[in-house]
Amino acid sequence: MHFGACVVGSEGFDASPGYDSLHSFHRMVLLKISLVEPGTVGPCPVAPDALQGIKRQQTNPARWKGAGWQAFVSALDAAGMELVEGAAACGVYATDAGGTAYGLPHGVVVARSAGQIASLLKAAQTHRVPVTVRGGGLTTEGESVAFGGVLLDMSGMSRVLHIDAKALTVRVEGGIFWHSLAEELRREDLDYLSAPLNLTSSVGGTLGVGGIDVNSARLGCSADQAIALQVVTPTGEIVECSDSQNQELFQRVILGYGQFGVITEATLRVRPYTPLSMHYFYYSSLATAIEDLQMLDRNDASDYSGILTIMDCAVNLLVAFDSDEREAAFKANWESRLRGYGEFGFALCMLGHYALRPWKLTEALYLLQRKREVFPEFRRAEYMRQGKMHDRTVVFSRAVWKHWGSRQMVIPDLATSADKFVAAVERGNAVCRKYFPRYTLYCVGIKLRPEHQAHYEMSCVPPDATGWAYGCEFEPIIDGEVYSRDHFQAFKNAIYDIGVDMGASYYRFGGMMKGYIRRVFGDALVDKHLALKRKADPAMILNRDVIF
Amino acid sequence: MRNVDIVIVGASLAAAAAAKRTVDAGLETVILERKELPRHKICSGILSPRGHRFLLENFGPLPRETLHEPTSCRGVTFHFPSMVSMPMDFFHGTTPHLHRKYSDHWAIQRSGAEVHDQTSFAGLEDKGDHVLVHARKQGEPVVYRARQVIGADGPSSLVVRAVYPDYPKQIPWFFVGQKFHEIIDCPLSADYFHFWFHPGLGHYTWSHARDGRQIVGVGFKRGDNFAKKHAVVQQYLEDKHGVRLKPAGDDDEGCAENFGPSLINRYVFGKGNVLVTGQAAGFLNMIGEGMSCALHSGAISGEAVVEARLRNRPVQEMYRKMIASEVRRCSDQWNPLKIALEKPHEADFPAALMALSWRDRGKVLRDMWRFVVLFKEFKWGRQITSAALQRPILGSYSMQRWL
Repeated sequence: MHFGACVVGSEGFDASPGYDSLHSFHRMVLLKISLVEPGTVGPCPVAPDALQGIKRQQTNPARWKGAGWQAFVSALDAAGMELVEGAAACGVYATDAGGTAYGLPHGVVVARSAGQIASLLKAAQTHRVPVTVRGGGLTTEGESVAFGGVLLDMSGMSRVLHIDAKALTVRVEGGIFWHSLAEELRREDLDYLSAPLNLTSSVGGTLGVGGIDVNSARLGCSADQAIALQVVTPTGEIVECSDSQNQELFQRVILGYGQFGVITEATLRVRPYTPLSMHYFYYSSLATAIEDLQMLDRNDASDYSGILTIMDCAVNLLVAFDSDEREAAFKANWESRLRGYGEFGFALCMLGHYALRPWKLTEALYLLQRKREVFPEFRRAEYMRQGKMHDRTVVFSRAVWKHWGSRQMVIPDLATSADKFVAAVERGNAVCRKYFPRYTLYCVGIKLRPEHQAHYEMSCVPPDATGWAYGCEFEPIIDGEVYSRDHFQAFKNAIYDIGVDMGASYYRFGGMMKGYIRRVFGDALVDKHLALKRKADPAMILNRDVIF
Repeated sequence: MRNVDIVIVGASLAAAAAAKRTVDAGLETVILERKELPRHKICSGILSPRGHRFLLENFGPLPRETLHEPTSCRGVTFHFPSMVSMPMDFFHGTTPHLHRKYSDHWAIQRSGAEVHDQTSFAGLEDKGDHVLVHARKQGEPVVYRARQVIGADGPSSLVVRAVYPDYPKQIPWFFVGQKFHEIIDCPLSADYFHFWFHPGLGHYTWSHARDGRQIVGVGFKRGDNFAKKHAVVQQYLEDKHGVRLKPAGDDDEGCAENFGPSLINRYVFGKGNVLVTGQAAGFLNMIGEGMSCALHSGAISGEAVVEARLRNRPVQEMYRKMIASEVRRCSDQWNPLKIALEKPHEADFPAALMALSWRDRGKVLRDMWRFVVLFKEFKWGRQITSAALQRPILGSYSMQRWL
């Protein structure tokens, strides 16, 4: 157990708004409250064994009280930087896609250039004002929610700067959304390698956390496609970095949860655009489907592969190809080895299954309803030409939002090595069953690049994974129901606890995950990164409360 | 008249949790407290691990001043008339022994809400799109105009009385009192909260160590005599457990308690723009721990206000849908089917029972049954059975029973 440095607050409580009478102040100073330095865990006065295994941290942060805010605003004003204050402007950013964490910044700056961000961060260091960076706001644990301080909205930097069709690279600004990038690349008959299914996430934000696609088993996670970055460091230096230039910064910024700099520009690898030919296989056993998925990945038998469950007994393995040659090779060598059924065969299976279990009629009706609603989404005429799917990203992203998502993205996940994956998914599935009547699991492999091993340290990639890591998202079908945040959080914690127990990691590490970081990675590794963070960000202003 | 988004009545842990949610979402929140803060609060102070985690995650590490001595509690020990004792450690380790005077004050301030103490709630008028809250600050009338009101003012809730004047007559009331004794000799472990399933002692009989003294507490149906009941318990502890105590100090204390609503799923969640939460709503875990469900239900009442605004839906609709998870968790603790087949509590009763000899297990079950019979006069049997059966069939407890 780590007990970090602890500063005893000489002024006792942080003064609360409206609680500033002299009389109240005298009463307040009765209690000396230990102010815990960010990233450390203070001693617990209850007992050393209180809440065994759960590090004592405030993961739903208190609002920064605003000390030095006016001087900071004056400094920005003098530099000619536009800062918006007020409830109307700040209220837009009150929560993220996860909807379990709420907080308001004191003010918002829309990103315009690396120079502007550099000035902002320099002033923030001087005045010790927290800066929270927000791309698409698609975090699920409050990572892009500002609990006071300034919120830097990266959507103002959303241009494609240069496409090199020969070298197959693109240079973009960090705040660009993936769908905008896809649109521009299509004009050049190009496509990105892999992007999160949620296309309104930003490129900069994705490179900081990972990003998985149905082709990640072949091409790696989205963060792996970055060749070079322009980063504004927490102290306001504009630095170009890559695996050959400022290598250490590059390694920390990639999959670094925004701790070591703001990604203002990125050079990404791209590829020629191809339409897809899709195949679906249906399983009644999740474990069998996962084994087949891993078999396909190991043998490079498909270009795209992933699992989407409809119910525990109805599991869909999706396989797709970029070229007719690859599809033909799959049909010749691998299709017969898959243990799943085609659509018609599986329908017969389900008919038999429910004929013997008439009391599960509502389940059967749900299955039919999903089939009627979801399947056509993947075959919409406007995206199909000659039997091939065009604009897969739009098709997938649209379907995910329409049929899986709700107004809250509640998708805790686990990332494990290949051999632990079946057990992790089955345990997670049992948790879903306990908390929600309907849910979907989305499983994908991620090819790991040995040369990127340094990028993966303390990230979503589990430390024991070699070759491939596997990720599973556990997504309740909320479908208009209303649940308390407490219910969602208890559900997420139950999934995350599996990760601690199995030595796994998580795709969406950050935010509320702060309470898990030492449990998952151990004190030595976390303290190593904390020391780097303190060196890079002396006032600890950039993206506080995400992991430190 | 002061215009605010939310008025919360009571400066309790439930209020702090509700305020944390509304303040985080940018809503102007005022907490009204009758007494001067920090105020005394009658409570055993033994918080469940779940409540401890909530405090840490939402308000940060607990300052030492918010704890009594011993600072922690390892678990609960059940004692039975047949002299079988069952110590049970909490899952997840020891848990805090809160000094409610300071812990509540600390949490309230950490919530970031504006606090108006020495301000008594005097009544409210729900005008449809807002609520007028009447209060008295040091005798002078004050009025607040709020979009919503959250009543978090404990079991004898004035907010509940304002909304449902007849409610207090509809439920049985208990008195729970504790006295503090200097210790001559106490073989009861200071690491545990001790509870007696003894129908001859009272409906709720407990003892634990606090700040060098021993608490002897007893709960009974309102109308009985505290001093007599307490004397019986003290004598019993001396005779049967060898607990020798000096006469109690003059700082004994007691209050009315609403055992029952969580047992029979008869919660009261308010009406219109007025939400009721915490123990005022009827949340009470088995063994009488109400703080953890007060924290969670309080937070949910705050979330409901935020969600209602975001979705433009009636706040009661949001609250009742969202509170269902906490109702399940709390009422599960009282549900005989859940107790028999699962582990709804934060300590492992089935394992402790199985650790006993067959003979002792029989004694324990017999003694528990005799203790349960003590509650026969409240005629809860049919309601408990109905709630217990609803749970596996409907997956939840009926919302129709809630006020």
